[in-house]
Amino acid sequence: MSSDLLLAQLINGVGTGLIYFLLAVGLTLIFGVRDFVNFAHGAFFVLGALLSWTLLEHGMSFWIALVVAPLVIGLAGFVMEPLLIRRFYNVDPAFQIVGTIGLTLVIQEVATMIWGPANRSTQPPKSLQGLVDLGVVSYPTYRLFIMGVAVVVGIALWWLIERSRFGASLRAGAEDRDMASCLGVNTGMLFAITFAIGVGLAALGGVLAAPTRGLNTGSSSEVLGIAFVIIVVGGMGSFLGAFVGALVIGVAQSLTITFAPAYGSVVIYIAMIVVLLVKSDGLFGKVTRVR
Amino acid sequence: MSANPVRALSRLTGAGGLGRPALLSAVSVILLGLLAPSWSVATLILIYAMAALGCNLLLGYTGLLSVGQSVYFGLGGYLAAITATRWGLQLSSALIVSAVLCAVVAAFIGAFAIRRLGIYFVMITFAFAETAHFLAFVFQDYTGGENGLGGVPAASFGGFGQSFFIAKPGPTFFYMAAVLFVLLFVVLQRFVDSPVGAVLVAIRENESRAEAMGYSIKAYKLLVFMVSGAVTGIAGCLYVFFVGSASVAAIESDMAITIVIITVLGGIRSLYGSFLGAVVYVALDTYLSDLWPYWQMLLGIALIGIVLFFKGGIHGVVLAFFNLVRHLLSRRSSDPADHPNEGASVDVSR
Repeated sequence: MSSDLLLAQLINGVGTGLIYFLLAVGLTLIFGVRDFVNFAHGAFFVLGALLSWTLLEHGMSFWIALVVAPLVIGLAGFVMEPLLIRRFYNVDPAFQIVGTIGLTLVIQEVATMIWGPANRSTQPPKSLQGLVDLGVVSYPTYRLFIMGVAVVVGIALWWLIERSRFGASLRAGAEDRDMASCLGVNTGMLFAITFAIGVGLAALGGVLAAPTRGLNTGSSSEVLGIAFVIIVVGGMGSFLGAFVGALVIGVAQSLTITFAPAYGSVVIYIAMIVVLLVKSDGLFGKVTRVR
Repeated sequence: MSANPVRALSRLTGAGGLGRPALLSAVSVILLGLLAPSWSVATLILIYAMAALGCNLLLGYTGLLSVGQSVYFGLGGYLAAITATRWGLQLSSALIVSAVLCAVVAAFIGAFAIRRLGIYFVMITFAFAETAHFLAFVFQDYTGGENGLGGVPAASFGGFGQSFFIAKPGPTFFYMAAVLFVLLFVVLQRFVDSPVGAVLVAIRENESRAEAMGYSIKAYKLLVFMVSGAVTGIAGCLYVFFVGSASVAAIESDMAITIVIITVLGGIRSLYGSFLGAVVYVALDTYLSDLWPYWQMLLGIALIGIVLFFKGGIHGVVLAFFNLVRHLLSRRSSDPADHPNEGASVDVSR
């Protein structure tokens, strides 16, 4: 095993991890604020990808799709939260899961009505095609771009949660809903916006992932599994945890595939089990947890 | 007391002990055999119903959601296919092997899962489901990987090379599955009606209070986890003999989700609900999917409705309907002037 190959796999792992971060961060955000387990998260990821496919089919540029698709899905989430999601908050977690499984079925079938069951994949823009020479390894430009987007999104979210007035209200609302309400925070609006941001981020991940792999309406359960691995490893509800967890899982998966290809998927779920048993708060539980 | 038929029937079947569940399940499978349009649909309903029974023990009676019943459904199936094709085991022995080994694996997974509560419990079962799914590819020498294992012989009962009964596909297989279902249903109903079942419900209702009363919560949880694994494993074993092959689809987490859907749809907190859930799920899957390919949307809406408004599921709806009928009949048949208090008390209590 040459060190060059190892380094290449490491970079690959970081790249995968940053995509995973986009996939998982919305899930952890929503859980962190209302302890709401959204099993429909993967469906929003797939919706983003499919919507961007339609936009590109209609001759719009990738850049427009990159902005419009997450906005549309986020808006849908904003409408959906007060109509449906809010009713799940006070339900037992087991039934939150069952209810959002139901929501997944509805979204999947609506998506199948619109897009059909076929695999849809998009093309990255011309400027992002090709390879970049990183010295030890040539890396696809598009994947570097995704990594850049993930980092930018990460920083923007950190600022939003930790530094902005909205973030202060959000943390207050997560900590003590009634008290925040008494102090004049519109908690209902707060949670609707959080849900919208969460599913919008999932959709953004979908838009970015669509050129690297085909997605169809049935992909959501596979995507959801990985998202849960990451937020559990990082600590459910922790923003920093989602970032570190995604990198750890991406690198671990990439290295495992190098040495023992068959175990690539097994290892991440075993990591999830180990974390749940040793420290169910995950790597960053409670420390930087939103609530 | 009024002698209306509904109440009379309920008194007859409510004789206690094994009579009521035996009668209920026997009548149900006979009706299923008479009414189902094909033997394979009827058989599939019974197999899914058995798988859901296992899930229901956990979710409905103990309050534990397992999104990992696919482990036992898939493993039971693989064990059936491997033992039948490699060692020539018959269904009777394969059932025992599947049940026992699934209980052992459930004890292993359960020992980890019961250390956590709520969402973390669910996550552990989910992680094991995904692990098992990918392990099926790692051990593809045994599982056949993506191709699965074919050539499972006809289901037969016997031992030591002799078989006294062969369940050929079609009606015979259904009869065999029906007998197994009734047996399983009666045993499990007895289980949940036993003092052990009462403790399980106590855990569901208030875990810390049950613990304070001196019950070993973990031992009870582990026990019900093992029983649940064995039951779902039996369903998986039967499924493989039914379709004649084992495939990786049976061990995917989607199968676990399907089992949860059937359980919740039919109605938790009632074992009979699992049967009703399987009837409705398979019927929709078989008939509605041809007419309207997006039928799962209805399933999704039903699940959301059940979670938010009506936890009882289909069984709850049926029960509410019967109570309404009973109520209406009792009002009509008894003269309020003769029994002024009885009618009122029925109004309040029902």
